[in-house]
Amino acid sequence: MRCGRAQKHMTAAVDGELGPRQRGALDRHLAGCDPCRRELAATERTLRALDALPMERAVSDGLEQTTLRRVRLAAAEEEERAHRRWRLWLPIPAFAVATVAVLVLAVGILTRTGEAPAPRAVASAPLKPSAERLARAQPAPPTRRPRAEARQAVEPPAEPPAELAAAPDLFMNLPILKNMERLEHFEAIQTTTLDDETPSGQAEPSSG
Amino acid sequence: MRLALGIALVALALALPAAAQQWGGRPWHQLTPEEQQRAWQNYQRYQQLPEQRQRMIERRYQQFQALPPQEQQRLRQNYDAYRGLDPGQRREFVEKYRRWKSGRP
Repeated sequence: MRCGRAQKHMTAAVDGELGPRQRGALDRHLAGCDPCRRELAATERTLRALDALPMERAVSDGLEQTTLRRVRLAAAEEEERAHRRWRLWLPIPAFAVATVAVLVLAVGILTRTGEAPAPRAVASAPLKPSAERLARAQPAPPTRRPRAEARQAVEPPAEPPAELAAAPDLFMNLPILKNMERLEHFEAIQTTTLDDETPSGQAEPSSG
Repeated sequence: MRLALGIALVALALALPAAAQQWGGRPWHQLTPEEQQRAWQNYQRYQQLPEQRQRMIERRYQQFQALPPQEQQRLRQNYDAYRGLDPGQRREFVEKYRRWKSGRP
C-alpha cells in the first residue's frame, strides 16, 4: 500500500470501517511509514475533537412525537393503499396455486436433501427493536482495551448479545448515526466559506 | 379445511422475512459474515461510548428508521463522500462544520 491509498483509508480506519484485509494492509504500511503514522494520529485527534463538539440541541418531545406520528401515519396509509391494490389485482385462486407450488417445491427439496436446515442461533430475535427494549437490555460493562487487543476480537460470537441481535441495523449504521448531523447537512457544510478563503492582503472597503 | 389452514401457514412463513425487512432491517442471521463482523465491531465500539452518547445514538436510530428510503440513501452517500475525504479536505471540512454550527441559531 502506498501513502496516498493509506491516507484515503484513515477515516474509515478510525471509524472501524475497514475490513480485516484492508486493515492489515494499512497496519503493514504504517509499521514502516512514520509520516502516515503521524497522519493517522492527527486524524484520530481531529475526529475525537469533532466528536467532542456539543451535539445538536434536542428536539422537544412533543414535536418529535408529533413528527414521528405523522410519518408513521403517512407510511401506514401508503402501505394500506398498496395492500388494497394488491388485493384487487391478485386473484385468490392464483395465490392458492402459487402457494401449493411453493409447498410442493419445498417438500421436494427437503425430501431430496434428506435433512431439515439446522436451526438458526438467533431465530427468535425480535423484528423491530424499540428504544425501550434497547434501554432495558443489559449491556456488558464498558471495558477499554488496547487497540491491538481490540482488533483481535473481530470474529462475532456464535450467539450475539441480545442488544446486537435485537437491532443489528443500528450497529451496521453506527458510523452514520454518529455523524448524522454532519451528513444531513453535508452539502450546506461543504459550501460554508472560511475566513481564509477570502483573498488576503486586501484592505477593507472604507465606508467614508 | 386443514389444507386451507396449512396453505395459510406456509404463506405466512413466506411473507415473514419480507415483512421483517420492511419493518426494521434484516435480522442478525440474514446478515452476511462480513456484515455480522462489522456489526459486531461497531457493537463493541458502541459499548465503549458514554451512556449519554449511547442514548443519543438510539434516538438517532429511531429518527433514521423514520426517514424515507431516499433520505436514508442520501445519508449513506454523504457518508461515503465523507469517508473519501483526504486528510487536508477533512481538516477543511471540520473547520467548515465548526463555522457552520456556530452560525446556526
